[in-house]
Formats: sequence, structure tokens, C-alpha cells
Amino acid sequence: MSLKMKNISFIFGMILLFLILLGIGCLAGGSEGYSGFGESTDISPDDQEIAFVYEHNGVSAIYTAPVSGGNAELEVEAAEGKSLLNPTFSPDGEKIAYVEQWEEGNEQPFGKLMIVDRTNGKIKEMTDEKGLVTEAAFSPDGQSLFFLEAGVHTNYSPIASERPHEFDIYRVELDTEEIEQITAKAAYDMSDLDLTPNGEALMYRSYDGRDQLIFQDLEDGGETTVTPIGDFDVDVPIIAAPALSPDGEYVAFSDVARTSENGNYIYEGYRMDLETKQAEQITSFGEHVTKPVFFNNQNKLVVTVDKGFASSEPDYSYWVISADGEERERIQIEVP
Amino acid sequence: MNRIEKHVEEVLKQTQSPENEREEIREELLSHLNEAKSNYISEGFSEEQAEEKVVAAFGNPRLIGRELQESMYPFQRGLLYLIGIVTILFGVIFYVNLIFVIREPAPVWLIIQLLSGSMVMLAAINISIVGRYFYLLNVLLMVNIIWNGINLMMMPSLTQLQAIFFSLYLLILIGLGFLFVFRNSYYSTKPTDNKHRKVLVKFSYIMNLLYGIIIIVLCLFFLWSLALFSGINIYAFITLIPILIWLIFYKYQMTFIARKPGLSLATGLLVSTLAIALSFVILRFSFGG
Repeated sequence: MSLKMKNISFIFGMILLFLILLGIGCLAGGSEGYSGFGESTDISPDDQEIAFVYEHNGVSAIYTAPVSGGNAELEVEAAEGKSLLNPTFSPDGEKIAYVEQWEEGNEQPFGKLMIVDRTNGKIKEMTDEKGLVTEAAFSPDGQSLFFLEAGVHTNYSPIASERPHEFDIYRVELDTEEIEQITAKAAYDMSDLDLTPNGEALMYRSYDGRDQLIFQDLEDGGETTVTPIGDFDVDVPIIAAPALSPDGEYVAFSDVARTSENGNYIYEGYRMDLETKQAEQITSFGEHVTKPVFFNNQNKLVVTVDKGFASSEPDYSYWVISADGEERERIQIEVP
Repeated sequence: MNRIEKHVEEVLKQTQSPENEREEIREELLSHLNEAKSNYISEGFSEEQAEEKVVAAFGNPRLIGRELQESMYPFQRGLLYLIGIVTILFGVIFYVNLIFVIREPAPVWLIIQLLSGSMVMLAAINISIVGRYFYLLNVLLMVNIIWNGINLMMMPSLTQLQAIFFSLYLLILIGLGFLFVFRNSYYSTKPTDNKHRKVLVKFSYIMNLLYGIIIIVLCLFFLWSLALFSGINIYAFITLIPILIWLIFYKYQMTFIARKPGLSLATGLLVSTLAIALSFVILRFSFGG
């Protein structure tokens, strides 16, 4: 074979190899998108149901299912190209508030606050199309919703990835749909908004160089920062996904309990007594534990466990644990 | 071109000798064969018959060419084939893994991987054309090494077993690449007979390549940490500037090492340090500290 022929056959062979591999990739239908449970959950006021997000090949929907496990029921499904997150039951359990997010243009995310009425399936938009709402919490009387909205989605430094920033808290009245701005902080990061049982103060996590747990009085705007004391693996306080108990006496959150052999942080659930600030570890999954939610009338919580943490895809499951951490049971959910 | 000349050219097509060396071999072979031809003619054969006999006695020119290549540049062509095949094979195995295990095929990655392997394979196939330019071969192999180094950075996101397997595979491949570059650099200069000097030249090549390895590892580490925080963007490629500087510098260093093996240890270290320092300064300025 001449040199020319050798070159041509080699190049031809390589192109063929590439096309075959490309074909196999297409046939296998690799990029279907994520299928599985979402991260955050909520428990209905009567402690009977759990609300969560489930994604089918990247299409998300909000479902409810018995807390004891069983068949899931579809509450609302996302339109194409949109994803749903952070479902929250209203105090009467008849509505679920959630956030609908989508991207426009150059991966610019938007999010609006939505409410689905479970009695008739009607969906109501509570905010406009221009903002980036990330989550919401009902006031105890169920008359209004407090929500977090980011002002920008950017990176402040070229060595940081783009994230939502300039957060503030807003309130929307359910009847009049009137929106009122509660804070004017333009905070770097804010999450896990909650209200005290009397509805007089907000609790949220803020990040300003380090995680902070803040209680803010709605009347005079006064702030109290709470720092948990406990046996954590890292010195800087990490207060991931804090949640307030229905009696307002405890805060459950997730923090680094130890570091695994390959250097990954292992997050476990903690419960802090707000009076003493002492935090006790209440889970020992040895996996990534996050998003604790208190039951309303029982001394139990639901936590989300991510077995796929630090890998390419999350693998969430929901577990009921007793508040002292003695018992745990997985919620087995059948999604239709 | 008569029959004998064609025969000699066929031999030369199998070797990677640079122009001057090629001319020497050509002259030697031609004088040798022409002498044989004259002998046949004096024995009473016609010119055409004589050429035919000489060519027949000489044997298969490709085989002889390959033997010549192996005696002057032992294993170099085979090493190129091996690196090319192993690179392409990694593309195939890892892409199948991306499809069926990770379920996220990346065709652009596959194109780059196959291209990187194909360039080396084409260099091996066309050794008589590409092989004359030792620096070009080095650049080709360094690009292959850097790309496989970038591949190595993806490994931490895999499961432990996969990460170990693929990292090991890539490290062997990168090692083969460096082995080739070292030998190629060494053969690019006329080896001397002085045993002490030979050792010193070899040592200097190894040390200078070691500087290169350190620069590549440092740069890829910076690139990896940047990518971890912000994903790949244009700033990330500033981190690769020292590699570029070292690669350009190595073109001159290759001949300098052969001439002044001792001194080149120092110049190599100096330029390598400066290259790293320069990129660090640029990074500091662009990120505001």
C-alpha cells in the first residue's frame, strides 16, 4: 500500500470510528436528563403527607405521598424547559406554594412564586416573570407568603461561578397580591426562610464570609444572630438548610460531622436547642444529610439523604427520623 | 531517476533522518550500489541488466529502510504507534463509559481525543516526512501529554474504581509520551563517543524535561482549581502560558543541551521559573489578588 493510501485509509477509519461511537451515543439516548427525587420536602399540617419534587428525564413535577410511604399523587407538573422546586404546604394544607424556574438567553435563570390550590388544581402566579425567586414560606395565619428574591445572577470574581446574589425578603398578600419589600440588604446569599410560630419574626440563613443563622423581628427589624455550639468537624460554622421546629424552640440543620477517607465532607443532621444553643447530632447515615423538616405534631423529622453527593448526579431519598435520632425509616414512595 | 536511485529513495522513505543525514545515507548507498552495477557491467551485463541484478541482490527496500530506522532511532516509530493507538483506545473506552455508565456522552471531547491520537499515528505513518523535524515531533507529543493531563483532571468526579483504572491508564500513556520526547530530544543531536559527555547530555535532557513536567503539573493544577471554582473560561487559559513559553524555549534548548549540557541545566531552570512567575503575576493582576 502506498503512503498516500495508508494516510487516506487511516483518516477514513478514524472518521468511521468517530461516527460509530457518535451513533452508539445517540442510540443509547444518554442525555435524557435527571430522573429521581428532588432535594427539599415539606410535611402537611396534619403530618400525614409529604410534598416533594420528582424529575422524570429532567422534567420536574410536585407530588405528595403518605409520610408512611406509598403511592405518590401528582400535584402540578412543570411546563417544558421549566423546573419546580421548594414545595411548601399552606397552614391549612389546601395549597402548596412552590417556585418555578427557567433559563433565558445566556443561561440567565428566572424564578417566580406559584401557588397550586389542591382542591381544584388551579395555579396562581404570585410574582412576575422578571425576578429570580428562590423559595417561600407561609405566614402562620396563611394570609401571606414571605419569599426570597435575588437581584442578580452573576459572579463577583472571575474565579467564582455564577450564582444568585443580592437577596432580599419580600411579602406577598394572597388576596390582594400586593408585594412589600421586607429587607433592603442585597445580601450575598440567603436561604431557608422560616417564620416563628407567632409570625412575629423571620428566621433565615445568610452568608457573609461565613454561614449565619439570623432571626429578624418583623415589627422593629431587629436582628439576632444565633451560632450553634456543637461537635462539628470544621471550625467555621456551616449551617446548611436550617429549619425551625413548630414550637419555635429548636432549629434543625445540617453540618459537617466528619471528613471521609477521600476528603469529602460528611454532613449529618443536627438539632439545636435555641435556649442553650447546644446542637446535638441526630443522624448518623455516613452520607450527605440535608433539608431537615420538623413534623408539626410529633417529635419527628424528615431528612433528605443524598447517596450521590460529590458525584455527577444526586441520588436523594427521604427518611423519617425521631427527634432524638434513635430511630430512622426510609419513606418508600412509588411515583407513577 | 534510474532504477537504483528509485530503490534508494524507497529505503529513505522508511527513515526519519533529517536532511543532512539523509544526504549522507543516500550518497553512501548510491556509491555502494553503483559500484556493484559497474562490476556487473564489467562482467558483460547490459546497463539495464546490471541495475536489475543490483536491485535484486539488495533486497526489499522497505524492509531495509525499516531496519535502518531501527538501527538509528531504535523503537521510536513503534513508540509513536503505541502512543497513538493507546490514546485512541482511551477515547473509545472512556466514551463508551460516558455513554453507558455516566450517561453523558461528550462528542466534542471525543473529537479532541481521537484527533490527539490520530496526529501521533499520522506522524508514525509519515515518519520520513514528520520525523525529520524533531522539535515538531516533541510539540506533537507534548500536546498529547497535556491533553491527557487535562483528562486526568476529570478523574476525581468518577467513582473510586473507575478513577483508579483510568488514572493508571492515563499515567502510563503520559509516561510513554515523556519517554518518547526524551529519546527524540536525545537522538536529535549527534551522539558523541565520549562516555562521560554522553551521560551528562542525557542527564541534562532528563532534567530539562523534568522542569517541563513540573511546569505542566503546576499549570494543570492551577487550571483544575480555577475550573473547579468557575468552570472553564478564557481566564483559565492564562494558566497554560508557562507551558507555551517552555515549549517555545525548548526548541532552542534542545540544541543548546547537546552543546553545553551543564550550562543548559541552569538556563532551563531559570526560564522555567520565570515562566511560572510571569503567569502568576498575570493571574494576580487579572483576579485582583
